[in-house]
Amino acid sequence: MTPLAYHEPESLDRALRLLADIEGARCIAGGQTLVAMLNAGLVEPPALVSLARIAELATIARGPGGALRIGATVTHEAVTESDDVARNFPLIAQAARAIAHPAIRSFGTIGGAVAHGDPNADYPAALVASDAVIEIASGGRRRSVPAGEFFRDYLTTALEPGEIVVAVVIPAPPVGARGLYLKFARVDGDYATLSVAALLARKDGACTHLAVALGSAGSVPVRDRNAEKKRIGKKLDDAAIAELGAALAARCDPVDDVRGSSAYRRGLVPGLVAKTLKILSA
Amino acid sequence: MQVELNVNGEQASLMLDARQTLLDALRVQLGLTGTKLGCNQGVCGACTVLIDGKPARSCLVLAAGCGGRKIVTIEGIADGAKSSAVQQAFIETGAVQCGYCTPGMILTAEALLRKRKRPGLDEIREAMSGNLCRCSGYAKIIDAVKLASERVPA
Amino acid sequence: MSAQSPANAVGQGVPRLEVREKVFGQAQYVDDMVRPRMLHGAVLGSPIPHGRIKSFDKSRALALPGVKAVIVGPELPAHHLGAFIKDETALAREKVRYIGDPVAAVAAVDLATARKALGLIDIEYEELPAVFDVDEAQKPGAPLLHENYEKYVKVYPAEFSGRNVLTISTVSEGNVDQAWAQCDVIVEGVYESPAQAHAYLETNGALAEFDAAGKVTVWSCTQSIFKMQAAISEALGLPMAKIRAIATRVGGGFGGKSEPGTQIIAVMLAQATGRPVKVILSRDEDFTMMRVRHPAKVRVKTGAKKDGTLVAREFDAVYDAGAYADESPGVVGFGVLMARGPYRVPHVKSVGRGVYTNKLRTGAFRGFGNPQTAFASEANLDDLAAKLGMDPLDLRLKNAMRPGDTWVGGQKVEACGLVECLEKLRKQSDWDKRRNSPAPAKPGKKRGIGVACLSHISGVLATSAIVRLLEDGSFSLNTGAVDIGQGSDTTLAQICAGSLRVPLERVNLVNPDTDASPYNWGTGASRVTYTVGRAVASASDSVAEQIKQRASIIFECAPADLELREGGMVGVKGVPGKVLPYGAVAGFSHFVVGGPIIGTTALMFDGPGFDPKRALLRGVPFSNLGAYVFGAQAVEIEIDEVTGKVEVIEAWSAHDVGKAINPQSVEGQIQGGVVQGIGYALTESVEWDGGRVVNPTFMDYKIPGALDVPYAIHPIIVEHPEASGPFGAKGVGEPGLIGVGPAIRNAIAHAVGVRLSVMPFSAERVWTAMRGAA
Repeated sequence: MTPLAYHEPESLDRALRLLADIEGARCIAGGQTLVAMLNAGLVEPPALVSLARIAELATIARGPGGALRIGATVTHEAVTESDDVARNFPLIAQAARAIAHPAIRSFGTIGGAVAHGDPNADYPAALVASDAVIEIASGGRRRSVPAGEFFRDYLTTALEPGEIVVAVVIPAPPVGARGLYLKFARVDGDYATLSVAALLARKDGACTHLAVALGSAGSVPVRDRNAEKKRIGKKLDDAAIAELGAALAARCDPVDDVRGSSAYRRGLVPGLVAKTLKILSA
Repeated sequence: MQVELNVNGEQASLMLDARQTLLDALRVQLGLTGTKLGCNQGVCGACTVLIDGKPARSCLVLAAGCGGRKIVTIEGIADGAKSSAVQQAFIETGAVQCGYCTPGMILTAEALLRKRKRPGLDEIREAMSGNLCRCSGYAKIIDAVKLASERVPA
Repeated sequence: MSAQSPANAVGQGVPRLEVREKVFGQAQYVDDMVRPRMLHGAVLGSPIPHGRIKSFDKSRALALPGVKAVIVGPELPAHHLGAFIKDETALAREKVRYIGDPVAAVAAVDLATARKALGLIDIEYEELPAVFDVDEAQKPGAPLLHENYEKYVKVYPAEFSGRNVLTISTVSEGNVDQAWAQCDVIVEGVYESPAQAHAYLETNGALAEFDAAGKVTVWSCTQSIFKMQAAISEALGLPMAKIRAIATRVGGGFGGKSEPGTQIIAVMLAQATGRPVKVILSRDEDFTMMRVRHPAKVRVKTGAKKDGTLVAREFDAVYDAGAYADESPGVVGFGVLMARGPYRVPHVKSVGRGVYTNKLRTGAFRGFGNPQTAFASEANLDDLAAKLGMDPLDLRLKNAMRPGDTWVGGQKVEACGLVECLEKLRKQSDWDKRRNSPAPAKPGKKRGIGVACLSHISGVLATSAIVRLLEDGSFSLNTGAVDIGQGSDTTLAQICAGSLRVPLERVNLVNPDTDASPYNWGTGASRVTYTVGRAVASASDSVAEQIKQRASIIFECAPADLELREGGMVGVKGVPGKVLPYGAVAGFSHFVVGGPIIGTTALMFDGPGFDPKRALLRGVPFSNLGAYVFGAQAVEIEIDEVTGKVEVIEAWSAHDVGKAINPQSVEGQIQGGVVQGIGYALTESVEWDGGRVVNPTFMDYKIPGALDVPYAIHPIIVEHPEASGPFGAKGVGEPGLIGVGPAIRNAIAHAVGVRLSVMPFSAERVWTAMRGAA
């Protein structure tokens, strides 16, 4: 078996150059997904480019407008342990905390999770609901793609060959917004059978901000911005919640697998959306 | 490639393929077979070691990426023949049946108690939730972690 | 039989003998072992569910650098193997019968090379139509898996039919057909249970090495070194004198390591290469190549008088045997035997059949047919209680077997603690309050409590023990019984130490080794404490007699004047000063008179068999097994109204164990069994798409983790001494699992009024049922 080359660049530029130069090379951060794939023989890259030593990818900080910038190699554990995230971006903190188990969270990274593009994972729905933006770099350029457009299909993202995720930027939520990530799974630590990521802000009983995205509901996170817009300026009563739930259920195209049939998952949408929004309205 | 690993306080210089997981390097190259292979996908936790004090799935960590990090395996927990508080508690509460999950459980418990001095029952269950056991039903393992936490100096 | 009051170790929750090596990470499981010049083996499974092997070409595989041997099934002699029906060969020779059916094996310098070589073995198949469903398999014209079934050697009087039905077992007593007329209430139902995977944390593996004289040593994680020795002998035509099977530490078995895993393959590769070969299955290989629990469909009909007295029960079960018989005849026979449940029911008719399908074979798994039976039986009984308007615990109490009652077939059960189990369960679970005025559930949840009883048999087949007195007064104990993690080494040592009045540290337990150990059928059937323990107690007693006999020469008295004393001494009764340590007796024996003191016992369970005047028993591979054990289990659950997800919030599990030799181990077995039962009931199901297992990984096949089960699983130990058991003990290895499924099902009925009949009770099933859809 040909030896696998392993590179540990200390700068982003060097990493990008290696990825551009070596055809089929893959980058690795926490490895929690990639190493499992290597172990199973599902991928056989000629080289690995570790991002672990690139300092600029490993920070969480606030940026312009109070947006939260999470570097690609920030671990799920670091996200859950950040006071700022817990207090001000609870949806993100909860999604990170829902991932697998503690030992996986010590090593798994947001960049890895996002680049993998699995709609059954926890970050994608939360990022779509948060209107996050994915920052991408390649040897030639930098670009940003909104989360809603970044996830294209099951395990397929907007990343092109040679590109890597460098950061995830989450705009500061509107004043008074509350966020919740509600995950329903067969057992603790499993992928969700269905998950709901929601942000809600109200003023004098009327919605000022409403965003709801579903995980494990289709090949990408499912959101209905038109249905959300209809609620702005209005009360979020049971009828409105039911209408939103029905709209989302209609948009779902969930997979049929051991975690649940597609009919079941679709059937769960109204109830779980209602439960989520009721908690946020309390 | 040449990889320098620090395992249980000792330096080891290994010739490895980058494909090799830390689990493989520990068991095969270093003969430290206490860490177990259960699923090779990071679900069961039998491969748990500590990397810089954090519980890690050694089956999902490439040995090549461990240079400069402190790795602790089950073989590094006891002080010679003197068992740690966690090991002693596992012995006393009947937490060990077939023993295959035991090293992973002990490492996870050690990491918890180094971080939290008097964890509550739910905290213990949460911390241990990533380690599967098929024999014990978990109760006596939870008892062991609780007992050890009561004995560790505050 | 040592009926003395328990000595120091018996009844104590002493730590396991091997616990230190396990917590220090020094325990040697088979994959931890390395031998000089060792090669690594890998196994190729069939890619199709049913086909004839037309041709093969090993040349590409052999040409891969590092490959040292390639063996393909068609090259092997036609030696057939099988626990009850000899329907399989070490590797598939003429036909493959399930996806994953082992058909070839490779030994190479490393595992990656061996696995790569598998892909280079060219095998041409003529694909045949396959059948995956037990009903389809029995239809006329269905593909036959074993066309030569009639020619296979069967070790019991098998009854079968030509349509893929490999075994039919019938047990009946009284006259069920006439008894319905006496019943005021009759309830019938059909109950289905899934294939459950053992999911032991350590996968199957073996390491084999030949010596220069042509004798092979095989280390493996097996539940029976003697079964392995016999299987290797049968497969290869080697005499057992040339086969040494040694037990390594076992990382869980639960029945999945009773039959050969990779032992025979490792031996064949070691023979072909002349080097030690280790063959360890990966997790998905173990999931797809080995064996799982029989899925079953059971029809139960129970009739009672309006006061709740049970009158008649009819039971009809179909067990999916998968592609090979494996232990199916035993599972089907046992399931049918247990169908009456631990109740006084005068009229019983139970029939079961095992059916071949082109799927992974099914085999022994904790409960051995009884979990499927108990699910049907206890769910049905609960439905009957509802129709009668009776509390389900009261209905069970009313009909529960009592000491002196008989099992179907007339076997008298003298020791039966079932009533005490139910009463303790009622009290400790606060049953009446939880059943009739439960505390409010958490918001959005519904709460319920359910109960189930169980009976099981602890025992079976042959066993032996050798106890030797060592020169300093310590002992060596050798039984050949493999400790698979349940703690039997410790329990047996406690029995020996207790019988001989010495501290536990003075008993050396010999590792199971067919070179050294006397025959022991194996670890399973909840038999080790009871059956092997009996042999240990008896052999210890023999040693005690010999000690007294030698000492009587020294003391110049009659052996009857002597007694054993705490601390390993023998002395004259009533004369405290006249005492000798065992070491002195040993020295005397070795150097003066008598020779070494060795106690041996050979044992076959010898209780009364079925009385053919009372009951009909056909096609069942055994007629008398062991001591009956009893239990009662209750679970309190909460159901999420939005998702249907069931959470067990507390569980109580009462078991009559005769005597708890090591209470901590008994509790551990009960708690572990309950959690496996929760998995079986709620989340575990091996799923197939045609012939392909779709969830052969821990990612997709979910066993409970610490947060999926309550911390509060209360083991309740009831002790009604079993006269034939060591210190009154009998087994508890399997029972913890058996009643959990129906208890949960019954709790669901209490919580939300739906009576489920298909397990597992996944959130989806419960949700669908709650909404009234089919």
